[in-house]
Amino acid sequence: MSQRKRLSNTPGSSQGKRPSSSSVAQEEHDDTAFTQPSTSQVQRGMEKLTPAQVDQKTAEVVQYFLVKDQKKIPVRRAELVKHVVKEYRTIYPEIMKRAARTFDQVFGLKMIEIDAKNHMYILINKLEPAEGPPATRSPTNPKMGLLFVILSVVFMKGGVVRENLIWSTLKKLRVDPGEKHEEFGDVKRVVTDEFVRQRYLEYVRIPHTEPVEHEFRWGQRADVEVSKTKILEFMGQLHEQDPQTWTQQHREAHSASGSSQASSSQR
Amino acid sequence: LADSRRAKGGGDEDGPRQNGAAGRRKGEQQKSDADDGDCDFGAGDLQEDDNDPGLRREIRSKYRDLINSVQQNREDMLRPSNNKLTEVLEEANKLFKDVRQAREAALDAQLLVVATDLGKEKASQLFAEGTAFDPTAFAEHLLSFMGLNRLEDGEDEQQNGGAVDGYLPQDAWHRVARRAQCCVRAAPSFHYMMGSFHAEPPPPKQRTERQRKAPGKEAKRIMPTQLKRMEGSHQEATEKEVERILGYLKSYYQDDPTSPISYYEFVIDPNSFSRTVENIFHTSFLIRDGLARMHMDNAKLPCIAPVEEGEVEAGGSLSRKQCIVSISPKIWKELIEAFDIKDTMIQPLNTHNE
Repeated sequence: MSQRKRLSNTPGSSQGKRPSSSSVAQEEHDDTAFTQPSTSQVQRGMEKLTPAQVDQKTAEVVQYFLVKDQKKIPVRRAELVKHVVKEYRTIYPEIMKRAARTFDQVFGLKMIEIDAKNHMYILINKLEPAEGPPATRSPTNPKMGLLFVILSVVFMKGGVVRENLIWSTLKKLRVDPGEKHEEFGDVKRVVTDEFVRQRYLEYVRIPHTEPVEHEFRWGQRADVEVSKTKILEFMGQLHEQDPQTWTQQHREAHSASGSSQASSSQR
Repeated sequence: LADSRRAKGGGDEDGPRQNGAAGRRKGEQQKSDADDGDCDFGAGDLQEDDNDPGLRREIRSKYRDLINSVQQNREDMLRPSNNKLTEVLEEANKLFKDVRQAREAALDAQLLVVATDLGKEKASQLFAEGTAFDPTAFAEHLLSFMGLNRLEDGEDEQQNGGAVDGYLPQDAWHRVARRAQCCVRAAPSFHYMMGSFHAEPPPPKQRTERQRKAPGKEAKRIMPTQLKRMEGSHQEATEKEVERILGYLKSYYQDDPTSPISYYEFVIDPNSFSRTVENIFHTSFLIRDGLARMHMDNAKLPCIAPVEEGEVEAGGSLSRKQCIVSISPKIWKELIEAFDIKDTMIQPLNTHNE
């Protein structure tokens, strides 16, 4: 993905990046304190530190990510620098490079910048999910089922859906945003708050609507984690139809997966 | 906006409108070149209706009703099977004839925004290649996938307002989640295998309490060791014991120098296994230091005898051999029986117990 390339290129492109990051920094108050160091700054920083120190700091970053990933909340660069990297910020790009390598080689995970503007990172699996029933009986999270339904509808409807369609579809599945659900609790909060914070969904206000209406789109995390081809396969199974009959969605799925396959470079 | 709608209305009169999309396509074309406008108002109406507040209110209210009906029944209107959108537009056309003031026109504009939005979606449905996606059908298939037990009685379906009756199994959503996992490359969540302890150190208060408690216990423990120490160090005790045993050995030897002393009879205390072990331990020092020697008698049984004063240096390292003695309670008992040991040759010290 281009985001990955940007990660490794940041020392080089920092000249161009610095002005833009400071102008955008109003969005993220803490980020004004951090500007990407240049290659020479990183080099100088590295000279002052022992390899053990750098390894230790890298390990701390890795651990921070792993714990944050438990709730699937993306990691902000500003937080990372403030809470973990701290005085090692001059070698931030080097640490991130090493952390990415650790995730890749030790954990089989990919560290991806899903938001290049606000500098937010997530971890996804490097490996495709295994075919057939899962080898281990890890407990499934029913919320993933709920999310999957929403993502499917949004995708099949061309990528944007007004919220009412989602609510009415969920109602047919006995999930009412107005009532407390025995499995999901406050459904509205789970869908419009939790899934949005996790970047699985986007819940955007539609202008000029009265009363206020929102539309749902796929979030940045869903874009990298969820396979449209596989959703289409599932649709085919459910409706007992050939997935290719949904030609537009089929085209969309294959162009999307085509680009993500090209970008999942070996590292 | 108002002009274009009037033009559209004019277009209606020209040809029959077959379905919503076709009619509006025409209307959209006309939108672009609609800067003219046929005036539909009759000149005579202007004076009276203009200022009648009741009529104004009525018109606005009707517009609001239309807007509401489009918003509430959106899904229904989207269905390609009906012309409800067309009907709404026709209704609005009629209302528009009586529009005089800006407030009403604004409502008309709002209705147009809502209607065209709906129209856009209807159009995309019509022009979509391939099969359209129907969320209702999707929901029904999904319910079956989740394992819904539908009731036999078909009447119940209608009572629920179209929702299928029956009950969903408890793991319904887990089934979906499991199926979803195959489509998602989520990173598995990291958790400590054995759980984690609270990472922060305990607050200082607790710490000082523990510190206060600990010395108390230690203070008690110190008492017995101190008493023991008054008797002398372990090392001293061992040395004393070894000397004492040497004394016994010498005295027994002197009683009858010709008769060899059986090693087993010497060390074994038939009343206590632990003392027997201690005797073996202390005797080994005598052997090590060359103060006693062991040899095998005619029956190949080990015997022990003190080394003469003169012999100590002469023996030297040449004749020294090492061996390991082991004993277990079972062997101890067997030896007691075999040698018929009734009494201990090395008298125990009274203070030498735990």
